[in-house]
Amino acid sequence: MGSLRTLLVIALWDLMKLKNQKVFIAMRFAWFTIQILVFARAVSYIVSQVVLQYTGGVEYYYFYILGVYTTLLYSTSIARGYMIADEFDDGIVEYHLSLPIRRNLLAVGRVLGSSISTIIFTIPMMLVVYYVLGVCNVVIVLVSLLSAFVFSMGIVSFVILIVFSMKSTDLTDIVVGAIDSLLVRLSTVFYPLPVIAATGIASYYVAAVLNPISHASDFLRILVFPEYHLIAPYGPVALILYITGFSMGLLILAIEYYEKRLEAGGWR
Amino acid sequence: MSVRISGFIREAYVVSLRDLRRFWQNIYWLAGQVAMNIADLVIFGLIFRGLVNPQLIPDYIRFITPGVLCLSIFISAFTIGREVGVELRREVTHYLVSLPISRSALVAGRILGGVLRGFIYQSGFIILAVLIMGSPTTEKWVLTITASTLLAATMSSLSITVSTVTRDFNLQAAIRSLVYFMFFFVSNVFYPEKALQARLGSAAPIAYYSPVSMTVSIYRYCFGYLQSVDLFFNLTGLTAWCLISILLAYRLYIRNLTR
Repeated sequence: MGSLRTLLVIALWDLMKLKNQKVFIAMRFAWFTIQILVFARAVSYIVSQVVLQYTGGVEYYYFYILGVYTTLLYSTSIARGYMIADEFDDGIVEYHLSLPIRRNLLAVGRVLGSSISTIIFTIPMMLVVYYVLGVCNVVIVLVSLLSAFVFSMGIVSFVILIVFSMKSTDLTDIVVGAIDSLLVRLSTVFYPLPVIAATGIASYYVAAVLNPISHASDFLRILVFPEYHLIAPYGPVALILYITGFSMGLLILAIEYYEKRLEAGGWR
Repeated sequence: MSVRISGFIREAYVVSLRDLRRFWQNIYWLAGQVAMNIADLVIFGLIFRGLVNPQLIPDYIRFITPGVLCLSIFISAFTIGREVGVELRREVTHYLVSLPISRSALVAGRILGGVLRGFIYQSGFIILAVLIMGSPTTEKWVLTITASTLLAATMSSLSITVSTVTRDFNLQAAIRSLVYFMFFFVSNVFYPEKALQARLGSAAPIAYYSPVSMTVSIYRYCFGYLQSVDLFFNLTGLTAWCLISILLAYRLYIRNLTR
């Protein structure tokens, strides 16, 4: 079997699961829409106009909803990783290992499949965000989808690594939950970087600057609102290079784990 | 008659103790949640406070503290639904129905378990609220505890209800999240009613009738952020929410246990 065809077959495994998740997608869509149309609008109402100097003139509501979309990408990628963790508990990993497929292809296929699933899962929400923002430029939509895909690959690889390290879905649940909450809070999802810098807490600022969620959300903001570049510490090229490096690095580590730790129940 | 009542209370108490023991087993989850809620308060205090329009909310940290107090009891009481969902999925329910206790005592015990979890989790945040906002008078303490009990019983019952709607674990989690965020976003926890009025227009009263908003209004009054609130409306509304939720939880939980 050719490598590409193998990858496609493995990726299809994850995509097939989406078929059974229609209700789940509908509910996530409903919850996201409430967040965008109620919570974000009400919060932006109480924010003073002073914030415009920190967002490069971008309205806080627009700033916020692009951040929320990034957290959605992040949490959906995490959820795909959880599904892989569930497979470990259910013994499906033994079935995968018995397939005539190279371990590295298996790893890449799972990450690709999970990331494509994440993108498909979040497309309805992305359309709501772009409708609210008034974005109808196809290039912007395609570039943002591509960046979301690369970002998702990194997060899925990250969860796979945690699942291997924890070797327990319950423990994974707690560790990922804690990292999840910390990463989202220590990012520019809700507050622009100059506001975080103004707190004077260097560690908070450094965490926000290094955080891949900050890079992903700021990249989307620059893409939709080029003026946001004025306050972002890095340009769009640097941001996307950082996301790509983060994702590729974690993907290589995930491949390494699949190749060396899975055999003979090493994941248990 | 009194023997039957005391038997019922004892049975419910035993069931709630089981839930409480399970609550302590998730000590890392508990520590993480407390840390996150405190982090939220600190981040709101440090950052969001500076972004909020002072003409709308003069001191955001005093505004949000009763909201976080409400969220703390809401979040912890809601965890009982996850337990009930896992039990249904793993068919622990067979063990539960085989216990020599009445079905109604079992349901009452589960709801009581959620309420106790809520109180334990909220106690730390009450201390924090007292440090930030000062201690309420004795009358207002009674009011605070009453509101907490009613909200915890409502949320505990609601989470049991939504967790028994389906046996699909992922769907259970999705429904629970949807209900959770509906209450979370469509309330006055993070913003005043004025903001909802401005943004939602004629749909704003939805938040006004939310049990979360009613509880937050009572807390804001008790901790001195608001000088007056419609206590009759808020307490009656909370009681109505509580009774309806308990009835729903009872019906659905029993149906799922016995089918």
